[in-house]
Amino acid sequence: MKYDIDTLIGDFKKKDKIALARLISIIENHPEKASVIFNNFNQIKHDSYIIGITGSPGVGKSTLIGAIAKKLLEDGKSVGIISVDPTSPFSGGAFLGDRVRMTEISLHPNIFIRSLASRGYRGGISRAVLDITLLYEAFGMDLILIETVGVGQSEFDIYNLAYTIVVVMVPGYGDAIQMQKAGIIEIGDIYDVNKKDLGGDDIAAHIDMMLDDSTFNQTGWRPPVAMTNSITGEGVDELIEYIFDHKEHQELSALIKERKKKRFAYKVRELLYNKIDHVLESLISQEEINDISTKAIDNKFQIYDNVHDLFSDVKFERKKKE
Amino acid sequence: MEDEKIRVLMSKPGIDGHWRGGIVVSRVLRDAGMELIFGGFQNIEQCVESAIQEDVDVIGLSIHSGAHIAYTKRLIELLEEKGLKDQFLILVGGVIPAQDFTELKEMGVANVYGPGTMTGDIVKFIREKVKK
Repeated sequence: MKYDIDTLIGDFKKKDKIALARLISIIENHPEKASVIFNNFNQIKHDSYIIGITGSPGVGKSTLIGAIAKKLLEDGKSVGIISVDPTSPFSGGAFLGDRVRMTEISLHPNIFIRSLASRGYRGGISRAVLDITLLYEAFGMDLILIETVGVGQSEFDIYNLAYTIVVVMVPGYGDAIQMQKAGIIEIGDIYDVNKKDLGGDDIAAHIDMMLDDSTFNQTGWRPPVAMTNSITGEGVDELIEYIFDHKEHQELSALIKERKKKRFAYKVRELLYNKIDHVLESLISQEEINDISTKAIDNKFQIYDNVHDLFSDVKFERKKKE
Repeated sequence: MEDEKIRVLMSKPGIDGHWRGGIVVSRVLRDAGMELIFGGFQNIEQCVESAIQEDVDVIGLSIHSGAHIAYTKRLIELLEEKGLKDQFLILVGGVIPAQDFTELKEMGVANVYGPGTMTGDIVKFIREKVKK
């Protein structure tokens, strides 16, 4: 390891951004070190408010986050941004092109922007995102903005991490049928039709209808629909107002507690899955997977039996603690 | 276990509309398994702040405006001010005349890539210098 954790923690507590950046790297590359780092923060009681921004590739999430953050900074808030872009399944590399949309705010003393590659993690974020939100909280950020990768219909892990979800769409997104589908379209606390200079009244109307038809949401919050042009900043004030309305709505009820609990339940599952992943890797080799898949080319209907046979002797159970 | 990735910032200091070179090299580094943070147009202050916050190993400047000496000098000065000069591998690419290579390297640039560079050489050089 390149850095000494104790020195970094000392600098971090003096609000040194270099230390924050390096701790993020450690947590991203060596998750096993996270508990050592976090044990230094037990005295810190600060909570940040976490906002998730999600939507398809190219709808303008990064530019919108830049515009939102700019206003929040003007209001004297401190803001931590996490922007995730996909890792290539072929090379393992990534082209992280979100920060480039936020250059205008990048020198403000109260902002910190970190780009992350998804590193094989599914669900629209990366494994390290939750841990980085904890680091931002320890650093004292008022607000945290998480930008997911450009998502399709079913990558909605962000729902477990953020307290307010903004689903961003653009003119031409789809018709009333698209709006009825399950998944990403359901998770918004706020919907935003970005690039409003291109139109989008029809999309906003379809979203409104979808929301009016919903019989599922029992929280007393009817998600509002904003329309923005994140390059000119049009509509961004209104969107921020909606975000703070939603924050207040949750804080006045017990909802915020539920959201916070959800965040940690997600972490518990992640840690457990991580353990199981290691077990699985030790149970089956790449050759065996290769072997079964090759056999399946000629015997495709036996794929279930072949896999079951291989693992018939495997049993998971939790050891009783003495 | 997750393996560490080489992280590279690609920055285009100043006003200089020639994006192609920076994009091509960025793509090559992505395909070589590195995490490339595309900074785009940045002044040197923004470039350094990005390099810090992204905790990159390599800072790449793509310059086609003829101002490579001035921008690189400013970069090195600012890194020195912050005590970070030895933290990053600094590479400069673009339309850089061969007679300027030595001056840039004397400033602290690890390597310079002018027109005609084989992209594989850049990958090889970064991998040699950044041990991860």
